[in-house]
Amino acid sequence: MNKKIGFFAFAVVFVFFFLSAVYLHPFGEPSETDMDDYFIDNGQNETGANNVVTSIVFDYRGYDTLGEATVLFTAVAGVAVAFRRLKK
Amino acid sequence: MRGMSKIVRTITNILYSFIIIFGFYIIMHGHLTPGGGFQGGAVVASAFALLVVSYGALKIKDMLKAKNFSVSECSGLLAFIGLGFLGIGTVFFYNFLAGKGGLFGNVIYGINPGDLNTAGVLPLMNIAVGIEVLSGLTLIILYMFNANNPKEEK
Amino acid sequence: MIEDIAQIVVLLIIISTGYLAIKMKDLLGAVISLSIMSLLLSLEFYILQAPDVAIAEAGIGAGLTTAIFVLAIRGTKRMEGS
Repeated sequence: MNKKIGFFAFAVVFVFFFLSAVYLHPFGEPSETDMDDYFIDNGQNETGANNVVTSIVFDYRGYDTLGEATVLFTAVAGVAVAFRRLKK
Repeated sequence: MRGMSKIVRTITNILYSFIIIFGFYIIMHGHLTPGGGFQGGAVVASAFALLVVSYGALKIKDMLKAKNFSVSECSGLLAFIGLGFLGIGTVFFYNFLAGKGGLFGNVIYGINPGDLNTAGVLPLMNIAVGIEVLSGLTLIILYMFNANNPKEEK
Repeated sequence: MIEDIAQIVVLLIIISTGYLAIKMKDLLGAVISLSIMSLLLSLEFYILQAPDVAIAEAGIGAGLTTAIFVLAIRGTKRMEGS
């Protein structure tokens, strides 16, 4: 019984992933390119960085990087609490 | 906890300085080449993790102290937020140093290898995030390492 | 053409090392297999022209995660189920 349920779940997941792989959008051809074109055209003029990825991560999407740094800080605080040394 | 074998220690002695230099290269050239603060900090932290795993507790205790890394992590995050607040005359995270000329360099537009002192506030943010990430990831390793051997700590 | 062949080979090795990481009874061997999987995944990102993600994957996935797992295994037992 357990094996049948497992096989059924595997079949459902396999069909789902297979169909989504078949109907995947063609690689390297996005349908909406307005924002990408704006970043590629004006990124160097507005920020002065030659690397477009850095100009997006630290300038256009600065809040995202701030949240990422805060998440890392919180993770370190959590590890420090979990592995603290108890007083004897 | 004892260290690992002599082969691992010899390879670590040769390699770890190069890994640290490579990580700081990634942090410093974050606005010119692929990479940035997060990636370079992770590379430097992996060099420290190599030191921690290959040597034992007693030899590492004087070199890597948790308190110093804690201070540098907090200062890195504070520097990042402070650099964001410096541009608050326009908006938060405004790049107020870009294209100022003088010390901050003149940007050559088009396809070029680029200079180190362009891009305004982005390299400073890269350095701040790099310091924060390398200290934070090293702190996680050090806390787990110290929790494993309570007796050798004294 | 040569990129496609390299991609297929790398993906096959990624799948086999992931399977080994699940099936191994020796946890240290499983961790090393997982680290090889991360390294090949970063190579795959590099083939797909995403060097940023490749550097992050090689630093965190192959370096730091392996160190954390090795420290955790030293604190517990090496063999699974014993």
